[in-house]
Amino acid sequence: MTGYAIVLASGELEKLTAASTIASIAAASDVPVDVFVTMNALTAFEHETVETGAFQTGPVGQAMLESEETEIPLFTEQFRDAKALGPLSLYACTMAMDLMGRTLDDYVDVFDDTLGVAGFLSHAEDKQVVFI
Amino acid sequence: MSEHKHTPDVTVDARGAGCPGPLMDLIGKVKTADEGTVIELQTTDAGSKDDVPEWLDKAGHELLDIVDQGDYWSIYVRKA
Repeated sequence: MTGYAIVLASGELEKLTAASTIASIAAASDVPVDVFVTMNALTAFEHETVETGAFQTGPVGQAMLESEETEIPLFTEQFRDAKALGPLSLYACTMAMDLMGRTLDDYVDVFDDTLGVAGFLSHAEDKQVVFI
Repeated sequence: MSEHKHTPDVTVDARGAGCPGPLMDLIGKVKTADEGTVIELQTTDAGSKDDVPEWLDKAGHELLDIVDQGDYWSIYVRKA
């Protein structure tokens, strides 16, 4: 195995954060990680969603956003920081982008490129796939 | 003043940060430090006590000591 291919499909803050946490530590430890962001997860990366904090959350997500004692960086910041430390790439799903009428400029600046399903499968070929 | 025997070359203050903040801060520092550098990671995240040694073991760096400072922990690390 030469790293992880993470499919990030959920727009729930808890799942986005679990993905960014695992991806960050792996990449910072020099384990290659490709993240394929698709479905509702992609909406969570839009400028407007990030700026307003309008994420889907359950109780843990609420606690993350509100906690004054423990600072948890937003998943977008975790991804951005980790990219500076190791082999981490993020790809936006072209199908979800087309459906929603979006371009890469509509998302926070963490994506390396757009990718279709064949492209993802090619990236995932030598990696362990994690579906979130 | 604490009385333990390790004198850090660098101190990383990650107090107040939750997982994975302290570990990420440490990894960032370890990556740029010279071999043999002693780093003190200050953390209030209880999970760091188990998770940092786990990472050090895997990454091949040395855990020198974990000191309970009352309201935070100091984890002393030597870069291999």
